[in-house]
Amino acid sequence: MRLVIAEDTVLLREGLAGLLEDAGHDVVARVGDAESLLAVVAEHEPELAIVDVRMPPTYEDEGMKAAAEIRRSHPSTAVLVLSQHIESRHAVDLVGSGGGFGYLLKDRVLDVDEFLEAAQRVSAGGSALDPEVVKHLLTPPKEGDALARLTPRELEVLGLVAEGRTNAGIAKHLWLTEKTVETHVSSILGKLGLSHSAEGHRRVLAVLAYLRASTV
Amino acid sequence: MRSLRITAWAVALTTCAIFAGVVLGLAPSMSDSTKWAYPSGFVSLAPAIVGLLIALRQPRNAIAWIMLVGALSAAPFYVFIPDKGWALQFSRAVWPLLYAWPVAVAFVFPDGRLLSRRWRRVAYAGSFCFVGFLIVAMLDNGPFDKPDAAVANPVAGVGHPSWLGWIWIPLWIGILGSLFAGAIAIRLRLRRLTGIERLQTLWIAWVAGLIPLGLVTCFAGWGVGLPFADIALGAIILLMPIAIAVAVGIAVIRYRLYAIERLVNRTAVYGTLTLLLAATYIGITLAAGVAAGRGSAWVTAAATLVVALSFRPLRARVQGIVDRRFDRARSDGLLMVQAFESDVREGVRAPEEIGGVLAEALRDPLADLVFWLPASETYATSAGELVGELPADGRACSEITREGARTAVLLHDPALRERPAPLRDILAAGALSVEIARLRVEVRLQLQEVQASRVRIVEAGYEERRRLERDLHDGAQQRLVSLGLQIRRMQRSLPREASILAPALDQIVGEVGSAIRDLRQIAAGVRPARLDDGLAAALHDLARTLPIPVEVEAPIGRVAASVEAAAYFVVCEALTNTVKHASASRVALSATREDGTLHVCVSDDGVGGAQARRGSGLAGLGDRVSAHGGTLVIASPQGGGTRIEVAIPCGS
Repeated sequence: MRLVIAEDTVLLREGLAGLLEDAGHDVVARVGDAESLLAVVAEHEPELAIVDVRMPPTYEDEGMKAAAEIRRSHPSTAVLVLSQHIESRHAVDLVGSGGGFGYLLKDRVLDVDEFLEAAQRVSAGGSALDPEVVKHLLTPPKEGDALARLTPRELEVLGLVAEGRTNAGIAKHLWLTEKTVETHVSSILGKLGLSHSAEGHRRVLAVLAYLRASTV
Repeated sequence: MRSLRITAWAVALTTCAIFAGVVLGLAPSMSDSTKWAYPSGFVSLAPAIVGLLIALRQPRNAIAWIMLVGALSAAPFYVFIPDKGWALQFSRAVWPLLYAWPVAVAFVFPDGRLLSRRWRRVAYAGSFCFVGFLIVAMLDNGPFDKPDAAVANPVAGVGHPSWLGWIWIPLWIGILGSLFAGAIAIRLRLRRLTGIERLQTLWIAWVAGLIPLGLVTCFAGWGVGLPFADIALGAIILLMPIAIAVAVGIAVIRYRLYAIERLVNRTAVYGTLTLLLAATYIGITLAAGVAAGRGSAWVTAAATLVVALSFRPLRARVQGIVDRRFDRARSDGLLMVQAFESDVREGVRAPEEIGGVLAEALRDPLADLVFWLPASETYATSAGELVGELPADGRACSEITREGARTAVLLHDPALRERPAPLRDILAAGALSVEIARLRVEVRLQLQEVQASRVRIVEAGYEERRRLERDLHDGAQQRLVSLGLQIRRMQRSLPREASILAPALDQIVGEVGSAIRDLRQIAAGVRPARLDDGLAAALHDLARTLPIPVEVEAPIGRVAASVEAAAYFVVCEALTNTVKHASASRVALSATREDGTLHVCVSDDGVGGAQARRGSGLAGLGDRVSAHGGTLVIASPQGGGTRIEVAIPCGS
């Protein structure tokens, strides 16, 4: 996988690059601000851009804006945004707007395998939403809400679906068989009144759209 | 301009030449009947010369031309008419013209314009009477006076309707009326005018006032049998145009020469005094004369004593009355300021209005009062606006002092300086109110400054929190993440036989991860990052973290970051209290924006009884809210739930 990294803290940027290179990926460019990021994306057209939210000059949300810009002008480049803290609204909006987008808290990189898997998933057109954000979306279930009718296990599965994981990924994560996961998922979709026909990433988007509509 | 000056010279010289011709005996039609040519020629010299002097300086001055033409029309040109009959006829007819120009001057002095449109009718009526009288007199077919009774009247043969015999009477009354109208016009001018123009007009008024005074005195003298009274009477009537011409000349050219106000004042005082004392003397002489016999030395002595004794008190009385009448501007102004001060004392008016009152009292609507603030060495308006430099817009500056220290400066029409006494007196009368107003303005400004610095401190604190939060995220947290990352990379590069270390390294990375989460929590308390997306989003997020249902209604856009933070922390504290103490089953949270104010309301259905005790979280938040100029109200009756309302100004 060819990718670029935009992160203003050099230590972290190099560590991240080393991690990805160790995993066999090709880090074609490492930059420290949004402007250079847009330049290298235009130059290399990588499969994935890993972007820090806060970057110079204002350290506000340059990375977020650059991410949206990349998705618009270079649809072939997926974007994985790393943040120091949760900004759930933006995150859900961006991840829910289509495939090829991920949003994770920075310290998720310490769980190396999960992080690499999420990066793979996003660059393949899937999505990744930080579990912390998903937790926000799922709690607290309100009275009369369809979510309240889900079993705890089903809620857990729904969260993992919202994170962007595939059935296989969920099965692995929960130490279940894929078959069981499939059963849970179809039960969840039924309770939420969502279409069973949605597959893969479209299913994630449908779930996110549902959660977004029910909570904000 | 040049041609105007040449014309002025020509007109004035013609008038002079007529008089010179009369004096040198060059007039063919001079006779006993036309001997008035001497005085009228002499009298018309004055307006001719004054008119010329004014016209040379200000060729477009209407007053100059009225006088030049008036002098020429009144000059005895008729004695140069060879036909004696016509000369006599003119001599009988034109003499009222001696008084036509003074009336015209009175109508338009000092700016050459009539008082108003209505006065145009008065001017037309006056002109009609003068011209009508002239025509009627020219049509008079009666015989001439004694020495020239033999001269044939040139209009004797013309038809002569009977009304010509009496029509001169209303016309004459009209002429007298226009003299009165001139006096009224001057009086009205004096009321309206200020500054130089008022001083100029005062000269005319003074002379015009001397005339009736002189007339009355002469009549009185004539009545009691003083010698030469009748001659003096004639002289006054004749000298009147000269006096007016000289007064106009001084008014236009040299109005600064004498203190005319004092002159008017003294004239009025001593004139009135003379009249009163004379009346007293005559009254006593007549009354006592009946009793004690005419010519008694006792009567004369008693009358003299009474007059002498009453002089001083009468003078003081008359002086007071005259001061009030003639220096009305000053006494009115003083009264106005004094009335204002008593209003201030009774709390009816605010001392800050003193600026407007002074402007009104001095009749200068453009006057502005600025207060001196010694602490900051600046000026300020009554509204509390600072004035760094006094405006250099041509206005004069007069200091107002109290106990030797400057309290304020009045910017006013420089013309007020022409009369320093009323200006000084009126400013002195207002000094106390000015000082009170100045102190109030000063205190208000200091309060504003304290309020502003409070907001600045809160905002600085907010900025500091923001910086701290950023430092935590971008500094410590980043370094921990990269530290963990290094451990992970090292772990992955370890040879197989070192896999025994894996659990320990996992534990270390786990510790690093929880340190990061701790830091994130701390940073969120310092300044919630969820405010990055605005207050509404932050409130929605906040509501989701609560174990009880929260209804959020927040249709607001972005407001100032420090206002958002203040509102957010109040809501946090309120929700924390609700969860901890209220045993509430539901909470309603609303944020609205109305007329530049952010309203936030948190209400629950819990047990109530909450109080913002000193040092409690809510009390601290109340301070923060009031630093932004907002209010925090807690309504929490026992058993009736708790409702916390916050209103913070947030601009429009």
